[in-house]
Amino acid sequence: MIGHFIFLGLFYAVLAVIGVTILLSLHRSFSDVRARRAEAIAWQSTFPDLPARERVCRHQFTGEFPDRICDRAFDCRECQTHAALIAKRASESTPAAEKAVVFGLDFPLDRFYHRGHAWAHPEPDGTVTVGLDALGERLVADPETIELPAVGTHIQTNGAAWRVRKRGANVRILSPLDGEVIETGAPENGWYLKVKPDGGQLDARPLLRGAEIRPWITREIERLQASLAPDGQIPGQLPTMADGGVPMDDIAAGYPGVDWDAVCSEIFLQA
Amino acid sequence: MLSIDTQLMPRTAQRATTRRFLLWLLPWSALLIFGLYGAGLCLVEGLNQTNMDNRFAFGLWIFLDLTVIALGAGAFFTGFLLYILKKSELKAVINSAVVIGFVCYSGAVAALLVDVGQPLRFWFTFWHPNVHSMLTEVTFCITCYLTVLFIEYVPIILKNRKLRQIPSFLVFEFELHKLMPVLAGVGTFLSFFHQGSLGGLYGVLRGRPFAFREGLAIWPSTFFLFILSAAAAGPAFILLTTWVVSKISGKQLVRPEVPRLLGRISGILLLPYVLLKSIDTLVWINSTSPARGFAAQQFYAWKPFGAWLLFAEIAVFGLFPALILLRRSLRQRTGWLVFASILVCLEIALNRFVLTIQTLALPTLPFDQFLSYFPSWQETATFLGVVAYGVVTYSLSFRYLTLFPQEKDLS
Repeated sequence: MIGHFIFLGLFYAVLAVIGVTILLSLHRSFSDVRARRAEAIAWQSTFPDLPARERVCRHQFTGEFPDRICDRAFDCRECQTHAALIAKRASESTPAAEKAVVFGLDFPLDRFYHRGHAWAHPEPDGTVTVGLDALGERLVADPETIELPAVGTHIQTNGAAWRVRKRGANVRILSPLDGEVIETGAPENGWYLKVKPDGGQLDARPLLRGAEIRPWITREIERLQASLAPDGQIPGQLPTMADGGVPMDDIAAGYPGVDWDAVCSEIFLQA
Repeated sequence: MLSIDTQLMPRTAQRATTRRFLLWLLPWSALLIFGLYGAGLCLVEGLNQTNMDNRFAFGLWIFLDLTVIALGAGAFFTGFLLYILKKSELKAVINSAVVIGFVCYSGAVAALLVDVGQPLRFWFTFWHPNVHSMLTEVTFCITCYLTVLFIEYVPIILKNRKLRQIPSFLVFEFELHKLMPVLAGVGTFLSFFHQGSLGGLYGVLRGRPFAFREGLAIWPSTFFLFILSAAAAGPAFILLTTWVVSKISGKQLVRPEVPRLLGRISGILLLPYVLLKSIDTLVWINSTSPARGFAAQQFYAWKPFGAWLLFAEIAVFGLFPALILLRRSLRQRTGWLVFASILVCLEIALNRFVLTIQTLALPTLPFDQFLSYFPSWQETATFLGVVAYGVVTYSLSFRYLTLFPQEKDLS
């Protein structure tokens, strides 16, 4: 009889553990969604699935590391290495420039750039204007649809700021900040969102700026070239850009046979 | 515009064209349908469709069950090493291991359902359990563990390129993943008991002195040998499947150190298994069997089950691959790794074959005859159907899910 109880007790204990595990996961998931953590968690879950070439540390762009992969989902706020290097940089004076021009693309340096090609520009009134950088614009130029968030929506860093559909690619433009959308624009305006940042001001620590922009974009162009190459192309024999060439306004139009979803996923950091 | 097929594939993975993939699936699907027909006949008409009878009650299906459950042990053991012992290198194959485990266990459960018959009464085993039967423990543990494997499979599915566009799915995947060590622990607990119980099932057969073994408390030695052999075979089977998939797909799926580690783990577990198996055999030859009134050599007088089987099991498929896998210089070479893994998997299959088929074929009473058994086409069809189900499920998973996370950086 005792054997019966032990055996069945163990069996039901195992069933209970399995059941509780599922219920706990569901409960936590609902709590996360209710607490508006879904987008942030989705990014945490997506980041490790990105290829290593897309997770390169920003300090590799500036030559501070020869080879370093970010393991913090591009959140530099808690990264001690980043803090130490920024402190070191602050002591070095750098000549101010208005913009970086890479392959004919303009990247104004009065703003901060997210690795997913959105930029954030702090305005004097405390709001932040959010737009798409020159490379991003050319990848999703003349889109089929643009889905902007409604005014009043709360967007989260690395979550979807807005969505663009372009030749089969459903692109989530990742938000560079946390905040509430107070106005929406359009590509013709040169910006997409005006956002009232959480905490009253933009936390720009995870965003790229200044001297980081040129090497970052140079690398992004290389990645773009690689992703535009036909399957099986040998690295080192990728298509090259002619000297003085400037990317087309609508790059997709120049590559009708390419899987545009794959290209956009690569550049806009979607797994 | 992209086809739906392409949109479902991992973004960074290169897979065969839709046409080639369908051509690959075609023969396996035909085999699966053939298997379903055979299994259907057995369920509708009864076990008279098989060549089993009251004396030869275990046949091809039980051999299949025991073998795939042992080969599928890589799922629990890899999970144990990764989530409990923190062997992070095994992240590279954990998804594949889970799918293999799921395929093996669900295939085994499907074959068991056909074998037991009366599918509408499947719940009897849970509602009216015979707690004195090793099979009850096996049934409970396998169904529980299949549930665990399904839960472990869900996060892999939720990370599909299309499904992951729904943030709530990723949140659930994330939260479920955080609790994976709990599931890995439960899986290890369950696997220990059901692998052991499957072995114990033979060890307690007092009327079958070929299989009967002494042991520790209520557990015969086969209980422990099954656990150890399954733990050794699981990593070898993962290594082998990874290599086969890599060859068929033409892609490098994992870094070279991963199969080497799997091989080393398999070798480390296989050597003590071979040692214990040898001791167990010696004890059986010199003590257990004579005590039951049989000289051990009597069991090997019935051809084709000669002593060569014992030699093959212990030396050729046991000791030999263990020594290969434990030698660093040989582990560096893929050919040796794969060869040794094939031998380890054959070792498990042979061990389960001997315990299932040879045990039942041998006469145990003066008026008994040596029995021969050859599966009917319905049994063979069901067997092949389970194999085809495994190939189809794994192929679909490989095409549409990320089974090898390192692939994206190696392509």
